[in-house]
Amino acid sequence: MNKNYWNPYVAGVILGVMLFITFLIAGQGLGASGAVARATAQVAYQVDPEIAKNAYAGKYLASGNALINWTVFEVVGIFLGALFIALLSGKFKLELTRSKNYPAIKRVLFAFLGGFLIAIATRFARGCTSGQALDGASAFSAGSWIFMLAAFGAGFLVAFLFKKQWKGVE
Amino acid sequence: MDFIFPFFTTGMFDNSVNLFLAILLGIGFGIIFVKSGFSTSAHIAPVFYFKNVMVAQVMVSAIITTATLIFLGVLFGYIDYSKIYIPATYIWPYFVGGLLFGIGMVMSGWCPGTAISGVATGKIDALIFLLGVMAGMYFYFDIYEYVKDFANSGNLGRYTIAKALGFEEDNLQVSYVVTFIASFGLLAFMLIMNKIVKNKGDE
Repeated sequence: MNKNYWNPYVAGVILGVMLFITFLIAGQGLGASGAVARATAQVAYQVDPEIAKNAYAGKYLASGNALINWTVFEVVGIFLGALFIALLSGKFKLELTRSKNYPAIKRVLFAFLGGFLIAIATRFARGCTSGQALDGASAFSAGSWIFMLAAFGAGFLVAFLFKKQWKGVE
Repeated sequence: MDFIFPFFTTGMFDNSVNLFLAILLGIGFGIIFVKSGFSTSAHIAPVFYFKNVMVAQVMVSAIITTATLIFLGVLFGYIDYSKIYIPATYIWPYFVGGLLFGIGMVMSGWCPGTAISGVATGKIDALIFLLGVMAGMYFYFDIYEYVKDFANSGNLGRYTIAKALGFEEDNLQVSYVVTFIASFGLLAFMLIMNKIVKNKGDE
């Protein structure tokens, strides 16, 4: 076990207690994809205000600024917290994680394309691993299990296609 | 005075206090993410090969912990379960969304929340991933008119595990026991597969 990390079960209990405190305070748990969707809408609005007429992005912009939102503030906090601990422990390091000798350009392409797919996935599923899987499953939503099992199942099925990218990376 | 949680949705806090707390809570999550090993694709992608299931162990124990605390909180009357936000279940969109999500995850090695902590710790692939997510979001805004019928199909509303099994929606005993068993089942499956893969060695 790597000493940089907590024991996974201890980490899980800490994460679970933190999530519970968040539920107690805000009535909702962790979120991430919604914040990125809102940031996209706001950036698009700065470039061209026409986006406010869009049937989907428009509802984020209805209040004037898509970024005045609980999940967006929380995500800013996640970034700050992670940056703080990385700097504190000297773990901040620029790197493109991939298998040794795996072409950087292919890694960049798959990272981008994977993100693209995940964006669409989160709009269909109303959330990601945070807001849908973790929050939903903890609060007894049946839909979260549909999402989680489909995600893990599909990931396992296509994993062989990306094996070279991750060989030796663990 | 009796406190009935959650504070915000039961009207104890106003919105600006809630937003301020969101940053503080987020900072806590960011620290936990890094210490749990969520801030590198080198821990996320190997789950799909059962080579390193650490993040799955964290995830499952977090679900069990939070579910237990919510269950006890409601049981003893401190939490109003109806005020806990659960996204509505849309069966087919969730299923298709899940499939796309899993493919994207093994392809990129990230999901949105972990990538935020990845960027903060210097991972270039996390930054590229998030640019891909933003591009995908923009694409979704564009195609929404064409996919909205599918995206909003199969809406079952607030659909708890108990309800799915034919019990009362807020029967937490049923929901909790099933969550507990399913979570441990998932964890056991991960650990067994991890053991098998490790014994086989790397080809």
